[in-house]
Amino acid sequence: MKQWVEQFNGRMDAWGRKLHEKEIRIPIDLVTGLAFALFALAILLVMPDQVAVSEKDVVNGRAFPTLLMTVMLLCCAMLIGKELYKLATKQPLNWKVINIQVEAKALAILGILLGTYFLSKWTGLFVVGAVFCCLGFLLYFRCRKKSYYVITLVIAVAIWAAFRFALGVDF
Amino acid sequence: MKRRILSIALLAAMCAALLAGCGQKSATWKVTCPWAPSGVAAMVSQQAATKSTSYSDTITLVAEAIKGDAATVNTWVADTKANDTELVFVGEGLLSITSILDPAKMQFGYEDFVFVENLYSSIFVLSADAKLNIGSVADLEAYVQQGTEISVAVNGATSSEAFLAAALFGSMGAGDKLKLTPYQSAAEAAQAVSRGETQFAVSHQSQILETYQQKGVTVVCAFDEGNIENGPFAGVEGVGQHGYPYFRNRCFVMARAGTDEKKVAELKELYGKILADAEVVEWLQDTMLLEVDTMSVADVEAHVENVKSIVNEYKDIVAG
Amino acid sequence: MLQYIAPATGLLFTLENILWINIGVFIGSVFAAIPGLSVILCVILFLPVTYSMTAIPGMMFLLGIYCAGGYGGSVSAILINTPGTPHAAATMLDGHPLSEQGRTKAALKIALYASTFGGIFSALMLLFLGPQVARVAAQLGTAEYFMVCVFGLTIIAGVSGKSMIKGLISACLGLLISCVGSDPMTSYDRFTFGISRLYLGLDLAVCLIGLFALVEIMSKAEKRLDRLNLDTTQIKDDGVITKEEYKRMARPVLLSSIIGVMVGIIPGTGASEASWFSYNTAKNMSKHPEEFGHGSVEGIAAAESANNAVTGATLIPLLTLGIPGDGTVAIMLSALMINGLNPGLSLFTTQGDIMYAIMLGLILVNVFMFLQGKFLTTLFAKVVSIPQEILTPIIVIFCFAGAYSVNENFFDVGVALIFAMLAWILRKLELPPVPILLGLVLGSMTETNFRRALLISNGSPKIFFSSVYCIIFLVLILLAVGAIVRGKMKERSTQKED
Repeated sequence: MKQWVEQFNGRMDAWGRKLHEKEIRIPIDLVTGLAFALFALAILLVMPDQVAVSEKDVVNGRAFPTLLMTVMLLCCAMLIGKELYKLATKQPLNWKVINIQVEAKALAILGILLGTYFLSKWTGLFVVGAVFCCLGFLLYFRCRKKSYYVITLVIAVAIWAAFRFALGVDF
Repeated sequence: MKRRILSIALLAAMCAALLAGCGQKSATWKVTCPWAPSGVAAMVSQQAATKSTSYSDTITLVAEAIKGDAATVNTWVADTKANDTELVFVGEGLLSITSILDPAKMQFGYEDFVFVENLYSSIFVLSADAKLNIGSVADLEAYVQQGTEISVAVNGATSSEAFLAAALFGSMGAGDKLKLTPYQSAAEAAQAVSRGETQFAVSHQSQILETYQQKGVTVVCAFDEGNIENGPFAGVEGVGQHGYPYFRNRCFVMARAGTDEKKVAELKELYGKILADAEVVEWLQDTMLLEVDTMSVADVEAHVENVKSIVNEYKDIVAG
Repeated sequence: MLQYIAPATGLLFTLENILWINIGVFIGSVFAAIPGLSVILCVILFLPVTYSMTAIPGMMFLLGIYCAGGYGGSVSAILINTPGTPHAAATMLDGHPLSEQGRTKAALKIALYASTFGGIFSALMLLFLGPQVARVAAQLGTAEYFMVCVFGLTIIAGVSGKSMIKGLISACLGLLISCVGSDPMTSYDRFTFGISRLYLGLDLAVCLIGLFALVEIMSKAEKRLDRLNLDTTQIKDDGVITKEEYKRMARPVLLSSIIGVMVGIIPGTGASEASWFSYNTAKNMSKHPEEFGHGSVEGIAAAESANNAVTGATLIPLLTLGIPGDGTVAIMLSALMINGLNPGLSLFTTQGDIMYAIMLGLILVNVFMFLQGKFLTTLFAKVVSIPQEILTPIIVIFCFAGAYSVNENFFDVGVALIFAMLAWILRKLELPPVPILLGLVLGSMTETNFRRALLISNGSPKIFFSSVYCIIFLVLILLAVGAIVRGKMKERSTQKED
């Protein structure tokens, strides 16, 4: 078992080193401007379907979201315009470096969170998800101290019990 | 080893016996209130739960409030089956208003429940800005005849209060002049009229009491057949005697459809005893300004149908 | 008033009341310190306990939870960069950086001292000026509320970080998210995309869990595993606050307490708005605005004194007019009514001793909050030395349990997870999350009051200039905008000089 864990960690380290070298550079302001401009347009597009209005309304339910999306579009236009100006005048754009290893690790954490959520939901027992969460994070942190496993699992069950029996939260 | 197995078996048998014994002696019924924990229904439910142990050895009521209206009841209906020890509140808001205006929000119908008891009955009142000097239905009729715009503060755009206002002014022929101004709480609506933001407000009696005592508003009429009999608003005219439509606000305790009739009868009996308790009656009347109003299934159905007919007639005024 | 003080003191100073205050304060501090468990949730969960009590011990217990909750939220904000409650988000901006500088105890102490001052200040306001202040508050209407919201939105500039444009995009997103659910003016659904539960809207506490707590967990991916745990042996945290720091904090604490009271008396607003208003004001008035966001003692003190100054102020409209100032106080109203007390000015004459006992009790609650806080600070400060392997899953479990408890539904846990993913993407796009929170806090109130005001005036914008209060708020808005423009110009000129 110990050997298998060592092997697994070794493989992950090697993979991590490879990923650590991989980076993506993105023109962050340009991407942000474009992404949110598209988002604002999409919201404006779905507005008639998603917000019913009545003729009686002095200011109807679409007015405020429309105003917000217009402001968002204007902000996006300013961001894009600024970056395009920089591009035209050959000034350096605002770049952001995204490290693939960091993103992979974030995905692993997200996986633990999603696992906790789905296990709790499907079993209807929050404590199952809580135990998974503890084990998931302890393994993620490559914890080797048995006492940490015991402490964390006991606390996890205690939290569930406190909510379930002391506070009457039904899960 | 044998001794260990024996002791485990003994322990298991003891636990089973204990659990079975518990089950026979007293059942805990969870009563879910789908509205705000600070609301009238949640408070009355909590009071009933506190009293339940005094009147029954076999039933203990536990009150719970999970705001969410139709969403909470949807979950309740999905998660419960006949004979589960679960109860839920529904009122005319869900059964008569949402079912007509926004049926998609409801994944349940009246047939999913079996009626246990009505917890209380509340008579809404119409209050007016004190400057208007309107103190009776006759004054109100005279005011409406002037043909000016009528603004009414209500708690929620499609609430019972909104429909009561629409029904009253609509039947006076002023539906086209009526402007309903929705607020996010009854207290806000009551304050609005005293500030002069609106001319009128519809609210529970307890919610307008303080503003009335500070002389910020006058109380014009009550949405009931006859005059109010008790409390600080005793003598206020009921709109019913003038031929105008009305309904009371009620809160029905329901069990899941298919629940054993005997159990339902036991619960009804328990609620009956609690609602007859002198302390509870006094508290409901003096503090909450509500009335004890036990009902039968036929009464409930009549109430739901009455409100439905009002909603159908005046929904154009409210929902536009 | 004086004739009630002696009997009220007699009613208040009983062993039972003092015990319940302390239990309440302890529960409130712990609940609020745990991300995902809001004060309102705590009050809801423990409300049934009060039904078997008489009015005074019941209220003392709930007030203990309420006041300590105002302070407790700052603990996790300082320690783990995750606000325990929405109103501690402003504290987080400076509290955590100060903790990272090895001054965890000092940060916790500042939060406690400022909270106690704010709490006692508002309790005294309630005691001596309650009815007068309530009368002013009752005159504020829909148009005035809208102006308050607009003033609140000017804060976006202060929390946008490097780029105001990006801050505005974030704020628009937050404001848009606040539109999800039933339209408060018509009850029609908006942006629910056929998901039935969405018509209830998105709960602020649930969004907060995703935006700040869960994303903070995901951010552990950005650190190397061997560098996640702090080397506590290197930190010499004596918790000392220097004389100079006390001097610097005096003005923002006093001003923020006044702001907290002013915000608290307006029903519908609450501690979140107060802490942001005060944080922004303190930043604008500070001689060291550059320190804000990097561990400014003034920032922590301003936010914390304001959010606790709200506690007494929200009781002013409740006890004098029967109008609950915020959701938590609305629940306290039921604790009074179940005991046959219908709050209002008339109750001051019929049950004056009980009312004054409650008001005096609020001072006592703050005193015990301070005493317990002094003891707990040392204990809380130790959280930073808990190994991440243990702390991280525990925080997640609390977050999930808290999100579930809001409506007892896994849907909310899912929403918190979606917000965590959204916050992660925004982090990558360098969009600040705080303006989203501001949008969520102010969105519904801004829109509803804007539309209602125009409904009242039949579409005439003159309503926004129709009262003295509107004009005062308008002047405040103009001053705030002026300060933003001046600040930006100053920033630009220093950039050019550099």
